[in-house]
Amino acid sequence: MFDAIIVGSGPAGVFAARALRGLHVVVVDVGFKPPDSLAPSMEGSAWDSPLKTDLHDFLIGPNFEGLRNIWEPDVNLKLKSPLMSFVVKDWERLAPVQGHGFCPMVSLAKGGLANAWGAGVYRFSSEDLAEFPVALAELQPFYDQVSDHIGVSGAEDDLAVEFGLESHLLPPVRLSRLSSALLAAYERRRDKMRRAGVKVGFARLAVLTEPRGGRGAYSSDNLDFYRPHNPAIYHPSITLDELIDKGEVQYEPGRLVLCYEDRGSHVEVVARNLRSGLLERLPARSVFIAAGTLNTTRIVLESHGDYESRLPILDNPMSCVPFFHPSDIGGSLDGCNSSLAQLNVVYRDNDSGQRCQGSVFGTTGPLRSDVLFRLPFAVSSNRTLAKHLAPAMALVMLFYPAPTSSENHVRLNTQGALEIHYQAPRRGHAERSLIRAFRKLGFFSASWMCQYPPMGSSLHYAGTLPMRQVPGRYQTDRMGRLFGSSRVYVVDGACFSTLPAKNLTMTIMANAMRIATGARSQLS
Amino acid sequence: MCDRETLLTEEAVYMHKLFFGATAPVEVVRQYVAANLRCPLAADGSESGAIHKIVTRELDAEAIEFVLRCRRQSRTLTQKVHILFYLVEVRTHYSSWFVSTAPGRWRALAAVAWALLRSSWKYAKGSYLVWRHRLV
Repeated sequence: MFDAIIVGSGPAGVFAARALRGLHVVVVDVGFKPPDSLAPSMEGSAWDSPLKTDLHDFLIGPNFEGLRNIWEPDVNLKLKSPLMSFVVKDWERLAPVQGHGFCPMVSLAKGGLANAWGAGVYRFSSEDLAEFPVALAELQPFYDQVSDHIGVSGAEDDLAVEFGLESHLLPPVRLSRLSSALLAAYERRRDKMRRAGVKVGFARLAVLTEPRGGRGAYSSDNLDFYRPHNPAIYHPSITLDELIDKGEVQYEPGRLVLCYEDRGSHVEVVARNLRSGLLERLPARSVFIAAGTLNTTRIVLESHGDYESRLPILDNPMSCVPFFHPSDIGGSLDGCNSSLAQLNVVYRDNDSGQRCQGSVFGTTGPLRSDVLFRLPFAVSSNRTLAKHLAPAMALVMLFYPAPTSSENHVRLNTQGALEIHYQAPRRGHAERSLIRAFRKLGFFSASWMCQYPPMGSSLHYAGTLPMRQVPGRYQTDRMGRLFGSSRVYVVDGACFSTLPAKNLTMTIMANAMRIATGARSQLS
Repeated sequence: MCDRETLLTEEAVYMHKLFFGATAPVEVVRQYVAANLRCPLAADGSESGAIHKIVTRELDAEAIEFVLRCRRQSRTLTQKVHILFYLVEVRTHYSSWFVSTAPGRWRALAAVAWALLRSSWKYAKGSYLVWRHRLV
């Protein structure tokens, strides 16, 4: 019998595994992997003309996977590329979710959605954790362990108070010309901007800017958008493979966990072997469910045979705000303009105190054709606009705190699909404030240019089985134990009590380590 | 080559000449045909007929597509043009069409201004062509 079964190999699963290593642990996972041939070898960036090779197979794919957004306009641009499509392979068939006012996305890949993440890592503050039954002081040592393990780059600047202090911060990723101009303008007008509630600083990224532990330093080749597993950008498979190679955990891919049965003395995890189609039962002293908020919710509800209950769900509303810097119109392509977040912006409304956080991106990630028909002119004119304005354009992806509303809920239906109902909140105020503030920095936009992706687009799902000081049904205690069971732990975003406007991945990792470390003492 | 493939080949050849002013490479034509056969584009009989007219009568597909997109009247032509643009953008030869590699602010501003003016003309022309040839 295993000491622990961990369901899922995303950020929560691998850090729970890391905390439990050495015990008899198995990670059970569907575990889709990227294709074996990852990229044509090339020198320089994808945009160095003399060295550029035709990139059809790489960017479009032999089966034209890269064209999906032509008939499915809500496809995440990053996830449609042939080398990234494994991240969202087959979820509609194996783990169906029906969204009403919500566009869901599920990953059954080894490493989860973090295979395609933006690598933003931000510690929650005491304010962010106010509704959690866990204090920052309890999470802090686990944040430190996560940071030491993955490597975090950034700077101790105006945003340090928002993101927490890192003891070993690596130098920040080199800024593009455009982002450097934005940061310099902010620093010249810092006081005025802060009075307006706006702070700008370097992004905190799980990206190595110096070689470390066999992983090389990051260099932008403009292919991050399309190619997974750049070793300089942390992804959970790095940790999982280390644990497997050292024999510290077992990994069983090709299995879709359907439910568990708590027998009192042990737990049995029921999984379908995707190759044989047969059901397998795996007994363990404990199970750590880390399948991603949506799949974790499905597993728990299925385990209770509950097709009625409505559980809460949290998601960060988001917006996309383009800004133009006239000085850079007609500029040449900037080789440093990687697809990772360049800077972060925090906006705090002076009246309501609501805090929003945004990431500033350059626009060399997507193909020009990705945006050609989003612009309102004839296609060749759009091409000209995209060509000449892209070097002058920054995109701010802004996140709001997740609203808590009884209108927003998830349930499992009798056909085995999750149903999510979500009411999008009003947005626009933070965008208008940001537009006014950035105008003073020489970056221009307008409210009508803002785009509001549907709920679910943030991919920050949480709070379906929230931690409470005194948990009730379908809630978890401060150690992640599901109410009514002493052997079932929820360690991913599902157990979050609230969801601030901040990427939750680092907190998922730290919290999973905290829960698993607490459980370890009982298991060993 | 079956009829549909012939029609798609003609589309590719015509649209490439229209948008990029040159003969389409064989590989681009082949990929365009394959993509159209593979991808679930929105298409019914009437739209196919309209596209056939555009190609055989050598009408300004860009102008027509722009008007139809603005009026939200048809998606198929937009999708076909979109496919073509994707296929050429990822080829080395076309990089200068999509990416600015030489700085030149005033040249860029002039190009942008011309593009906006040109777009107005395309809308007017497209409106006329849609009406004249009863494309919708």
